[in-house]
Amino acid sequence: MLTQTTWMPRLSFAPTNTAQRGDTLVVIFLRGAADVLNMVVPHGEDAYYQLRPSLGIPRPDDTSAKKDERAIDLDGFFGFHPSMQTLTNAWQSEQLAIIHACGAPDESRSHFKAMELMERGVDDERGPASGWIGRHLAALNTGNVSPLRAVGMGTRPQKSLAGSVPVSVLRSIADFHLGGDMRALKQMQSALSSVYQNDVLGQDTLAIMNTLEKLDPQTYLAVRDAKYPDSEFGLALKQTAMLIQADVGLEVSAIDLGGWDTHFAQGVTSGLMPGLMKDLAEGLAAFHADMFDHMNKITTVTMSEFGRRCSENGSLGTDHGHGSMMMVLGGNVNGGKVHGAWPGLREGQLIGPGDLAVTTDYRDVLSEILMKRLNNPTVEQVFPGYKPTVRKIIK
Amino acid sequence: MTLSRRDFLKLGALVTASAALSSCAPVYRRLAGDLPTTAWTPLGERDFLALQRLTFGPRVEERARFAGIGLQAWIEEQLDFKTINDFDCELQLTPFKTLKMAANEIEGISNQLFENYDREKAPDELRRATLVRQLYSKRQLYEVMTEFWSDHFNIYIDKGNCFYLKTVDDREVIRKNALGSFRDLVWASAHSPAMMTYLDNQANQKGAPNENYARELMELHTLGVDGGYSQQDVMELARCLTGWNVKEHFWLGDFVFKENLHDTGTKNILGMTIPNNGIKEAEQVIETLVTHPSAARFVATKLARRFIADQPPVELVEKASKVFLTSKGDIKSVLRIILLDGLPLAQPKYKRPANFVLSAMRMLNVETDAAGVQDYLLRMGQLYFNWTTPDGYPDRSEAWQGNLMPRWQFAFALIRNEIGGTKHNLKSLLDVASTGILQDDVDSISSLLLGASMSNTVRDELIKSIRSAGANEEETLQVIAASLIASPAFQWR
Repeated sequence: MLTQTTWMPRLSFAPTNTAQRGDTLVVIFLRGAADVLNMVVPHGEDAYYQLRPSLGIPRPDDTSAKKDERAIDLDGFFGFHPSMQTLTNAWQSEQLAIIHACGAPDESRSHFKAMELMERGVDDERGPASGWIGRHLAALNTGNVSPLRAVGMGTRPQKSLAGSVPVSVLRSIADFHLGGDMRALKQMQSALSSVYQNDVLGQDTLAIMNTLEKLDPQTYLAVRDAKYPDSEFGLALKQTAMLIQADVGLEVSAIDLGGWDTHFAQGVTSGLMPGLMKDLAEGLAAFHADMFDHMNKITTVTMSEFGRRCSENGSLGTDHGHGSMMMVLGGNVNGGKVHGAWPGLREGQLIGPGDLAVTTDYRDVLSEILMKRLNNPTVEQVFPGYKPTVRKIIK
Repeated sequence: MTLSRRDFLKLGALVTASAALSSCAPVYRRLAGDLPTTAWTPLGERDFLALQRLTFGPRVEERARFAGIGLQAWIEEQLDFKTINDFDCELQLTPFKTLKMAANEIEGISNQLFENYDREKAPDELRRATLVRQLYSKRQLYEVMTEFWSDHFNIYIDKGNCFYLKTVDDREVIRKNALGSFRDLVWASAHSPAMMTYLDNQANQKGAPNENYARELMELHTLGVDGGYSQQDVMELARCLTGWNVKEHFWLGDFVFKENLHDTGTKNILGMTIPNNGIKEAEQVIETLVTHPSAARFVATKLARRFIADQPPVELVEKASKVFLTSKGDIKSVLRIILLDGLPLAQPKYKRPANFVLSAMRMLNVETDAAGVQDYLLRMGQLYFNWTTPDGYPDRSEAWQGNLMPRWQFAFALIRNEIGGTKHNLKSLLDVASTGILQDDVDSISSLLLGASMSNTVRDELIKSIRSAGANEEETLQVIAASLIASPAFQWR
């Protein structure tokens, strides 16, 4: 009786395409609309300093400011915020690309609406309610049926993952454990081995459980002096690295980093937003160093629902704006370069109430990654109604 | 909100009882369903299967009732659901205030002036209420049908304003008509602001038609994808539906027909010519759709798939379709055929996550506040109202096989009482049945969860594997209960 199911088929969905597994995709969403003008600073624009008399990050050569408070030059026009200094290694190794003035057509400036549309990968409220990653997974049969094919780091799956392919949610790798002390665990495993002795999927699941059981983020040793920040975000990246190394079938890891809605006292070189940038940069830098030998098979992308107003507001913060910025990190990235046409910050160049224009649709970036690195030939199913332009962000 | 005198009296009773709930454990126990006073006997395979299809997992007392009156009488009792006293379940629902609110009231309490919306409160209450009803309601067939129609008229609660509109849809569309007439269901759903929002009919206006709802009304709600309509019919129905919308200001969240957005031209649908007639145009089409032979077949097929087999028997579908047409879509009449003719032909079906979770909880007389369990449903892939596409959670077995880990975690967490606000009654149940012999107790647990005992060989091997891992007798019983819930057999119904 306990084994009545062995004749049942294992797989249900019929993806439209069969392809070899491509890169592991790591998608980092900066929730709250990151102030990208202070992350990748257009220090070559005078208008930037006029719009941000208090919040502007001093030019790299501005000797009136302390050296560690100035922007770190990238290409003579843009520079990293000093809190992102740890990312300069990845930049110099040409594995990190920046796409500035990038974003979505939606101009609602509503966090909720913009995030929803971006995670669904659609232009407006019409269209499929599933997420773009979910549709990517459903469209592609990679022969990989691992329960860890797609993982949402955190407490609930990101909307971008929504769709017909089951997604695992991991607060920590311990989420894939049965819980209980060693003694109880042994008893449970014996019982499960017994009731699942003739069931392939059950045996597979037990095997992954045994693999993950040996992984402990507390004692994990990163290589190349990589130091993951001691934060939720750092843990999520560290665990992504651990899952990639354990070879348990991870194709997509979705990670959130929240807190970017900086209307009030966002901080210039220290404080709220610099702290977030430090977390982000240190996490990415550690992941890059730790996973350096795997970088040919990993693509990491950061995104945010929109950017912030170009001029600072009256409470040393910034209000909701439009154009944002994406970063792409990986061994096959055309890195060390700021991509995208720069629309400028002068009057007449800004849109709406004074916001950075969008010159690259975020879906161009994602489509190119899906096509070139994740072997998806039907991105039109992932972003229905959108015709992506290849921006040569990926080699 | 106005209260009738009767509502008021009921409310008073509920408040008193809720006060008792917090201070008096025995009352709480009683609310969770009485514990059986006599041991249960194994059920025949067919009877157990029938009960698993008609409930979210049979409780001991339901097994006894079924054994006493037989399948047909049991079904009739359940179909006449309003005569089943469900006071205990109602009482458990009292904390969920949004259940009875109008859309604008829910919107009002969700609207946090400076901080955007509290988008969690109403969905959270609706989800918990759904679990409470599936767990505690004695009107089990009604709840099974409520779930069925919630999938048929699926709405993703996290799309736009559905987060507060779905509560109203659940109450006024699905629950009001779950065992009523199919025509009333489709009618109510077509006038449901949540559905208008979910399927973009708000964007459907003259000159700029949006076909989303028009298409699903035919493809998923009535005729079925091969039901004999064309793309042209979809486009024409979309034109009829222009102006079917949701109020945005006064009585926000109510249905409204916006004359000024309506396409006043003549339309041609399914061979009918429909002259300019405002809201009545689409209403006329709906009346045609709900009595269409394709709709009869489509609904009969889906019901047979839900209750009988992934591949429904052809003759059963034929017979049920005929009854659908002669009874003008009377859901009870169709169900009688599906169940009485169909159950003897039933094939194994893989439990969907909610069914899996609920069956374990019902069989073990679990008490819960319905909060902590939601996380498990989410990770298993069936958090209520969380399916994004309009086809509803899949009903075929193969769609659900492949995500075992959260089911195993649930099984062990449940037995170890580690799920927040949730406690099982395995020990009390066993106290009723126990002979003091381990093998007998294991047989009792197996009969409780799987309908009958395992073979002695399988049982003894399982006991041995757990004992050899160092478990004492009490631990052994617990691990057996958990591993039976986690087992392949328990995943099927």
